[in-house]
Amino acid sequence: MNVQNVIAGVVQVAGGVLGGPAIMGLIQHLKARMQGRRGPSILQPYRELARLWGKSGVMPEPHTVVYAVAPAVSAGGTLMALALLPVAGRAPDWGLGHDALVLVGLLALGRFAVTLAAWDTGGAFSLMSAARELMFSVFVEGLLLLVLLLLALPLQSTDLISMSHAASLSWVWLRPAHWAAALAFCLVILAETGRQPVDNPDTHLELTMVHEGPLLEYAGRDLAYLQWAAAARHWIVLVLACQLVIPHPGPFAAQLAVLAGGLIALSVALALCETVQAKMRVLRVPQLLGLGCALCLLGLASWFGGGGG
Amino acid sequence: MSVHGREIVRALSPARILVVAPERWRAECELHAQEGWRFCGLFATSGAQQPRVSCVLARGGREHVLSTSVPTGILDTLVDLFEASAVDEREAHDVYGVRFHGHEPLRPLLEHPSDPAAWTVPVQGHDPYQVAVGPIHAGVIESGHFRFTVVGERILNLDLRLFYKHRGLQTAAEGRRLADGLAYAARACAACSVTNAVAYAQACESALALAPDRNLRRARTLLLELERLYNHLNDISAICAGVGFAPGSMAFAALKERAQRLNQRLTGHRFLFGAVAVASSELRIGHVDARAARHELRSIGDGTRSLWRELRFAASVQDRLGGVGCLTRDDALRLGVVGPSARASGIEKDTRSESPRLAYGEFAPVSVARASGDVAARFDVRGLELEQTLALLDDLLDGNLTTGAVKSLGGADCELGVSRVESPRGETLCAVQHHGGSVVRLHLRTGSYANWPAVACAARENLLPDFPLINKSFELCYACADR
Repeated sequence: MNVQNVIAGVVQVAGGVLGGPAIMGLIQHLKARMQGRRGPSILQPYRELARLWGKSGVMPEPHTVVYAVAPAVSAGGTLMALALLPVAGRAPDWGLGHDALVLVGLLALGRFAVTLAAWDTGGAFSLMSAARELMFSVFVEGLLLLVLLLLALPLQSTDLISMSHAASLSWVWLRPAHWAAALAFCLVILAETGRQPVDNPDTHLELTMVHEGPLLEYAGRDLAYLQWAAAARHWIVLVLACQLVIPHPGPFAAQLAVLAGGLIALSVALALCETVQAKMRVLRVPQLLGLGCALCLLGLASWFGGGGG
Repeated sequence: MSVHGREIVRALSPARILVVAPERWRAECELHAQEGWRFCGLFATSGAQQPRVSCVLARGGREHVLSTSVPTGILDTLVDLFEASAVDEREAHDVYGVRFHGHEPLRPLLEHPSDPAAWTVPVQGHDPYQVAVGPIHAGVIESGHFRFTVVGERILNLDLRLFYKHRGLQTAAEGRRLADGLAYAARACAACSVTNAVAYAQACESALALAPDRNLRRARTLLLELERLYNHLNDISAICAGVGFAPGSMAFAALKERAQRLNQRLTGHRFLFGAVAVASSELRIGHVDARAARHELRSIGDGTRSLWRELRFAASVQDRLGGVGCLTRDDALRLGVVGPSARASGIEKDTRSESPRLAYGEFAPVSVARASGDVAARFDVRGLELEQTLALLDDLLDGNLTTGAVKSLGGADCELGVSRVESPRGETLCAVQHHGGSVVRLHLRTGSYANWPAVACAARENLLPDFPLINKSFELCYACADR
């Protein structure tokens, strides 16, 4: 285990745990500025988490263990996903491997746990939102798998570290498949982070909620776990984009700099997108994600049509 | 008296009161319905021994009030003649105990029974389930309970339960002097305060056979249009918020703030409170202030137009508005919908064009090119009406404004005065019954009150997540419906 791996490990965990809320805070702050408001500070998500952490929890009655463990499962799954994810093309071995398909599964696990919790208490809002979340996830997960498949083609491996190396190969950018994957990944980012036009993270309109709905009943530390998981999901998806799509050649330090720059650039792009776009009608979201799938299939066809790697 | 003068006197003559026997009640109303009279409101009064029920009907700027006593406590319903009377009859039942024969089931309105079956429309089948929203909401919204029956995301039926804000304002006004009763009408709601106050004042003046002079008419029209300006700007902002388009929402909210600051400068109150009085107006605006206000209004107008253009070309916003929350012309007519919502459904009616007590001159209601009755049409109507309002304000602020007064029309006092005024949400009816200068009964039927059933109708067969947008496209008040 060399020094670079140790640094990568520190960035993985510390960045994942602390960086997620910062990304959310940055997006909120930029959005407010673009809308002509002063907006909250970038540190606001940390203050929210600290406030929730210090509060006692309240449980709805009746509830079962399913509801009680959902925050832990969601946060735990996210933590494991962080450990899988290489930064700057490196990751220490945490004993979980670095398989892209495991990452997809862990992201799905968090969603599954929260959905089950909504079912457990049976609140109308939670169930309604959970149903939407599941409907979207059918398309998002499919799309994410297709994108990962496309990105795995150059080096014929679903190992995240080798996929991350593939992104730095200059010849992949001559392939339409990589471009298709890059475009489709933009849609994955919007959907997985629950941002406009797919979902509105700031909404107070109960009836339009998607991700926020199942969290309504939670309070205190449980809510802090869930909100942290949502923030860490931003980190995971954006780091994934920086690692698998954006080229990052050169020495380790340069790769880290590319990662930091990429994260900031993507956050700005998300804020911009959310400012100029209104939220989409719920039933049009699958069409949008379907478009991403079509793009991926075109990319796949072009890859094999072009004679493979 | 000149010919012109006589016409004005006729136009200002009070509503005709037709006292009918209880058994002739329905027949008389039916006759009016056949002659094309429009239902404007129905209210009960406690009366000396037995309750009385009155129904206000209008046609071409004239009002008839049909009034009957209800010795048996039961009256024939009008709900099949005018569906709009359904809410009024439910209120008359809950407050005055009048029952309506043929109105089945007569669901409670102000009463809030705990059993949903008592107040919701039954929906058959296996899959429908109910989503209950409110009365406490996640945002800063007034209290209202919405019970949706849905299959998946599709709304099959919506039952509204409002009237959480009953303050008994109408009853509290009883026994006050006519001039003091105005405060009760005005405080029913902040956003329609001027409309309610003007409606009350005009109802009193109509009953006392008084005519406003030019200054009084100008002052009230100015206040009404200032109210419409900030309300419409707010409603456009709310529609933008409903589709999650924050830049539009923020920019229009900023314009609304400017309009309210102008209100403050002109009248001393952001919501124009206290600027209307019975039989007089203390509003004075000098040349310099009027010129400054005109200047500010032009600047607000420029801002509005440029933002409006941007919204027109914001594809993601326009994509959300079309075909959502359709209220057909037939439904709007049937439910007695008023105001911008009615005009968006192709009913070109605006009470401003038949308001001889106000300074609207030759006013013509706006007509939208595509009166499809959806959110987009209601959005467009507001944009067009803003132009109208800005032009009216520009005219009204041409020159200074001094105090206004009334002159006697020379007629005899009438115990009941009725007045209709166009609020930002539609026609508001105010009926004031007085005896010796004291209020005996005050009845306020605001545009919001008239339009709430239309929200439930427009929501049907739409997607549940589109409901906040549909609701915002009507942007009705809860408080001024309940009062």
